[in-house]
Amino acid sequence: MYTTETVGPTPTPLAPVSTLPTNTKSVHLTGDNKIENVELLNPVNLSLECIWSGNQNKQPNITGYWRKGGVDIQDSRVPVDPENQQYKLKRVFNIVSEEHLGNYTCVFENEAELDFILAVPRIGEKREKPIVSYVGDFVVLTCKMEDNKPVPRTWNWFKNNGTDKASEDLQIIFDEQLFEAQRYDITIDGRNTKLMVKDVSISDSGVYHCAAVYNISTSTSKMQLKVITIWEPLKPFLGILIEVVILVTAILIYERNHSKKKKAEAVRPVHEELNQKPEDAVVQPHHRAVLHALVETQALCAPQQVLPGVIGVRFH
Amino acid sequence: MTDRKLKSQSQEDGAEGPDGGWGWVLVVALFVSTSLVFGLMRGLGIFFVEFVQYFEESAQAISWISSIGLAAQQFFSPLGAALCNAYNTRLVVMTGGFLSGLGLILASQATCLVHLYFTMGIISGLGWGLVFTPMVATVMANFTRRRALAVGLGFSSIGLSSFAFNPLFQLLVETYAWRGALLILGGLSLNIMACGALIQPECHSKASTKVDSQSRSSRPDLLQRVSSYLEVSLLCERPYLTYALGVTLLNFGYFVPYFHLVAHSRQVGFSEYRAAFIMSAAGVTDIFGRIASGWFSDLGHFRVVHLLTLWTVLAGVFIMLLSVSSWTGSYAVMIVISLLYGFCSGALTSMVFAVVPMIMGVERMMGGLGLLQLIESCAGLLGTPLSGWLRDMTGNYTASFVVAGSFVLLGSLTMTTLPHYFSCAEPPPPQRPVFVDNSETLNLELGQKDGCPSEFNHQTVGQRESTH
Repeated sequence: MYTTETVGPTPTPLAPVSTLPTNTKSVHLTGDNKIENVELLNPVNLSLECIWSGNQNKQPNITGYWRKGGVDIQDSRVPVDPENQQYKLKRVFNIVSEEHLGNYTCVFENEAELDFILAVPRIGEKREKPIVSYVGDFVVLTCKMEDNKPVPRTWNWFKNNGTDKASEDLQIIFDEQLFEAQRYDITIDGRNTKLMVKDVSISDSGVYHCAAVYNISTSTSKMQLKVITIWEPLKPFLGILIEVVILVTAILIYERNHSKKKKAEAVRPVHEELNQKPEDAVVQPHHRAVLHALVETQALCAPQQVLPGVIGVRFH
Repeated sequence: MTDRKLKSQSQEDGAEGPDGGWGWVLVVALFVSTSLVFGLMRGLGIFFVEFVQYFEESAQAISWISSIGLAAQQFFSPLGAALCNAYNTRLVVMTGGFLSGLGLILASQATCLVHLYFTMGIISGLGWGLVFTPMVATVMANFTRRRALAVGLGFSSIGLSSFAFNPLFQLLVETYAWRGALLILGGLSLNIMACGALIQPECHSKASTKVDSQSRSSRPDLLQRVSSYLEVSLLCERPYLTYALGVTLLNFGYFVPYFHLVAHSRQVGFSEYRAAFIMSAAGVTDIFGRIASGWFSDLGHFRVVHLLTLWTVLAGVFIMLLSVSSWTGSYAVMIVISLLYGFCSGALTSMVFAVVPMIMGVERMMGGLGLLQLIESCAGLLGTPLSGWLRDMTGNYTASFVVAGSFVLLGSLTMTTLPHYFSCAEPPPPQRPVFVDNSETLNLELGQKDGCPSEFNHQTVGQRESTH
């Protein structure tokens, strides 16, 4: 059975205190530790205990009290007497729903204090950069709870309405009246969840939230989807294409000019030598080989530039 | 005066000219095209994650894309070499550049994994095969004294482009997603066409001499022509076979550190960042090794084959030490060994190619390189899975690295069996018996008057002796 849950405070009936399980967290204040993280999934009677070893003053009695969210908890002031040179401060909290989570501080007045941060497991991997997709393509958004964290009861996906609005505008994606169900495909597999958006369009851009639902609260993570058209990469691609065409053309033109000059230079002295003795138009064997080489060269490198004059010379 | 003009003509026509001049322009072309072929191939790992997520396929299925690409590049190398022998090198390289760009552009529109296998794998791989061997052969043909340095400079681009391409590809994928990034990469690959345009058409046309010699001796059979373009006759010669075997054994072990070093370092206990840095250290010295060994071998103090053996032996030893040194657990020791390994590995790459013309002569280099690429591709494909299997069997990488190092050493031992290995002077390269016509005799005469380096004179002497 699937139930819809929203992020705001829900008027769930409070379970009777006696049936809740009990959990204890006991921490020694060493001076280095200031914060203790406590992960909670289910409603629980949480007993928090702070143990302090005292200091040089060795005062006989100290007042200890608790704070929640920076605000002193009423009726929490108690005198603390040292037992075996240790000061102990302990209190049981009834953690049932989301408003009971938060920052609890045990305070030994004017001496030491420690923060307990009660929260649902956080989704570890946060994708900082936006996920890019193309119009008409599909995109898969994933969320994963780390293996050392407990499995969520289920997952939910939300999309921001508008571009930079605040979380109040979140709309749950699986609500068929608001979103076309054929385009979205949610798969949930224990610690993993995937949202597949098919046939994306520009309006699908925005911030998406995945929420890991636990009995006590939900833990969210967000990612940004950016949809672009094919023109975006096509612009640098065309730029590179033009550069290649220009380079190749330039190289080929340069080489054609260069080789024209060289061939003109090489052939001229042969012409001159041949023209010097017009009556003796017999070609020397030396020249014959040269001309053979030249003709062959011409024919293979630049077939259209066969030297007319050379061919006409009579070979001996 | 006529002679001098004709000499300059033949210098332009004859590819076995002196060093420098247009040759350096070709080195730049080799630099760019190699980075766009191999540097690009190495950077494709960044698309790996994107493909796995988009196509929802296993990692193994996705990694087949680059395997097919590399295999296609090596498989089609003899085809590229043959086409260059038959037609125009410039045309072949430009076609190859076009195909490699086309493959990536088409890949950007892929809707299933098979499309990627076909476009990024086969089409681009075919393009890369048509580019790499011809470019290398052309550069080597344009240098004689500075050959190894030119090749080393050209290959240094692989290391440098790996550095540059990884962040660039990451940026492209983040901005345009993998489709747009592949499109832009396709455009970048088209720059290979500009590199190909720099190759001057071979005016002393190998094709014509081959066909002429064939037609004068017997009816030009198609099979005969094809086999001469592919230089299949090389497979019957012992020096070539020995060398091919040596290079194959070398390739069994050569790639293992590149694939497994990071994993091995992580297993020893170093953090991700430190393990990656060990690999980067090897990559940096790799660049220097290629250039330095090329420069050093061209000084001429030692024979190229001896230097090749030196670098392969050292590389094999350092590969083995990579696993052994991890027992000490010291980070500094691993960094030092990795630096030394990178240097030797880069150094031997330059030498492997520079030795080829010594064994088969400059004329047959094109076809010989193509066949060599094909033969060594099998080793490259098998070597890494073998080391992976060893790791699975033994639980750590020590066995894999030791076996890889021993393959490399075995390869260098095989090369010591090359003919004339232990002589101090360079022997003349074997001649292909060619019916030389008059034009070639003229080139040879001019060549000798040039005062070309001794190797070329050996060739001319050999050919003149065969014709007179």
